[in-house]
Amino acid sequence: MDTAPGVSATHALSDPPGVGARLAALLQRRSVLPTLLLVPVLLFFIVWNTVPTLWLLGLSFYRFSLTSGRPPIFTGFGNFESILQDSEVWLALSRTFLFVILAVGIETVLGLLLGLLFWNSQRLPGRRVALTMLFTPMVLTPVAAGTFWRLIYDPTFGVLSAMLRGLGLPTVNFLGDARTAFGSVLAVDVWMWTPFMVLMTLAALASVPKAELEAAEIDRLSFLQRLRLVILHHGKFILMLGILLRTIDAFKTMDLIYDMTFGGPGSTTQLVAIMLYRRAFEVFSMGWSSALAVILLLISIAFTATFIFVLHARERRKQDMPA
Amino acid sequence: MSEIVLRGVGRAFGATQAVQPTDFTFPDGSVTCLLGPSGCGKTTLMRMIAGLDTPTGGRILFDGRDVTGKPARDRDVAMVFQYPVMYRTLSVAENVELALRDDRRLSAAGRRARVDEVLEVMQLQDRRAAGIDALDVGTRQRVAVARAVARDCAVILFDEPTTNVEVHAKTQLIRAFKQFRARLRQTIIYVTHDQTEAMTLADRIALMRDGAITQCDAPHALYDRPESAFGGWFLGNPGMNFLEPRPQGGVARFDGFPSPFRLPDGDPEGLQLGIRPERILVGPAGALPVPAQVLRRAITVGGQYLLLLRAGSATLRARTPPRAPFAPGDTVSIECPISHAAFFRHGQRLVAQPRMTEDVHA
Repeated sequence: MDTAPGVSATHALSDPPGVGARLAALLQRRSVLPTLLLVPVLLFFIVWNTVPTLWLLGLSFYRFSLTSGRPPIFTGFGNFESILQDSEVWLALSRTFLFVILAVGIETVLGLLLGLLFWNSQRLPGRRVALTMLFTPMVLTPVAAGTFWRLIYDPTFGVLSAMLRGLGLPTVNFLGDARTAFGSVLAVDVWMWTPFMVLMTLAALASVPKAELEAAEIDRLSFLQRLRLVILHHGKFILMLGILLRTIDAFKTMDLIYDMTFGGPGSTTQLVAIMLYRRAFEVFSMGWSSALAVILLLISIAFTATFIFVLHARERRKQDMPA
Repeated sequence: MSEIVLRGVGRAFGATQAVQPTDFTFPDGSVTCLLGPSGCGKTTLMRMIAGLDTPTGGRILFDGRDVTGKPARDRDVAMVFQYPVMYRTLSVAENVELALRDDRRLSAAGRRARVDEVLEVMQLQDRRAAGIDALDVGTRQRVAVARAVARDCAVILFDEPTTNVEVHAKTQLIRAFKQFRARLRQTIIYVTHDQTEAMTLADRIALMRDGAITQCDAPHALYDRPESAFGGWFLGNPGMNFLEPRPQGGVARFDGFPSPFRLPDGDPEGLQLGIRPERILVGPAGALPVPAQVLRRAITVGGQYLLLLRAGSATLRARTPPRAPFAPGDTVSIECPISHAAFFRHGQRLVAQPRMTEDVHA
């Protein structure tokens, strides 16, 4: 039988040993209610995050093809051995690291420059509109961005090719040519994620105390001195955070490339995430791809550990500073 | 060395006029304190002189050179902020030297000598290699002063440098300030809301209220002859006593004075009499002309007493020497010397001071 909550509460007041009263007492204990409120999120996290991860971990020790219909066969570290001996994996990994270093490097430098530009032009009319427009790539779905960049890059119908033709230059098959594909994909990633570094730069700049900037102005420090002694001193942690977030994210780049080149031509744009996807959902060798996923997870954890270390370094600094 | 002239300099933030259009001159090589309560516009005025804020009207001249629209870096000013602003990654000596690096007048050796000299004056020699994070706020502020002084520029601005510093460090700072003043003659503007500091440091005090400079004078002159009731009230601890007149047909009687005053124009409207607490004489009952009652007694610095007295319907504060034998409830007698009384009408000092009538027992 259903009882309205109000009814049970009144009942509980008049009859202390009742279920309602015990429930109310339990809820009043400090730890119970917050735990109760956390349960849905925890459940969600366990069902959609922890269980698949553990499953993945388990699967990585098996040989299992989704299409063969045969049950998984335990192979121990067989998958890992095969991955570490696979030159294609190493190639994809080194390609991914190159991609991450170049993308994050360029995005950081561009982001810093654009951020400083925006910051120094606070009285410029139209600054807000420009900022909003700058941030649009970042909010796009990568797949959508990939699709329209594929159209822009298209050698026959693409805007870029049309412009090259208009200038009397030979057209380039940006995504189809093995020499230009990697650079073209990289350019799109830079286009998409530079705004994020602009945002981080602006946040970093906002963390610089105004008085210190004014003192630097009074002391006639040069731009580089100001950048080194004042701005980076206060903003480096936020910038570092941005760089680390970008690194972790760039390492997982999949959807953007999936839509533009799908790893081709050849395997010139095949980053590990693409490789993983193809092995899992084209070849269906689930055990092998699970093992690769575990390795990638470990690399991501290494990045995250660095990230947390840097954050803690900031905390330690704060504690060291006299009040 | 520089003379700073303000011509109609004002600053409005939206509808609020933070600084009224002001004409003022800071003489070459003088120390001028901008003194006033919080929010009176003194810091805004200083920031406009520094070039950190732009006036919404008027012009600022440094030695006749118009610097109004110029950024701070082109003005040859140094500034000490309310919070010690340091370059955290540098040592004490490097902090002081930093602002000298681009000074072409100095050789490397000359720079080092300048840094050494300034560190010595500020008593920082033994901390020269220390990192900034190892210093307390007071020491940091001395480093900030050292950095400002080392520049040897025309103007040094101080924006309430002792506000966030504890008492001991404050006295150290003030001592250091006096020492470098003895050696260098720069034009200094010092913003403070601490009158003791202003009294001790300034050649001249510019008293500010509601965005305007109400009076500028030497400290003792400002204290003795405030041009406004505000000056009388703001300076001194506590400030002036103010008495309201009781008009009696052409004359006005003030509680605390034995005889009525003849008013210059016979008009008691908006009239106030001010007298400083330390000028009121207190004696045993009957010894002095006016009887009074002790309401409260508070002990102040040096064992002096601050008495709250009732004379007629007026309450007055009077400062007495240490161990004066007066306790709450006692009946005493007082005298307010007429030579130390100031008359104000609607807050402004009267040019023609009222005279006391002859009839002592009227």
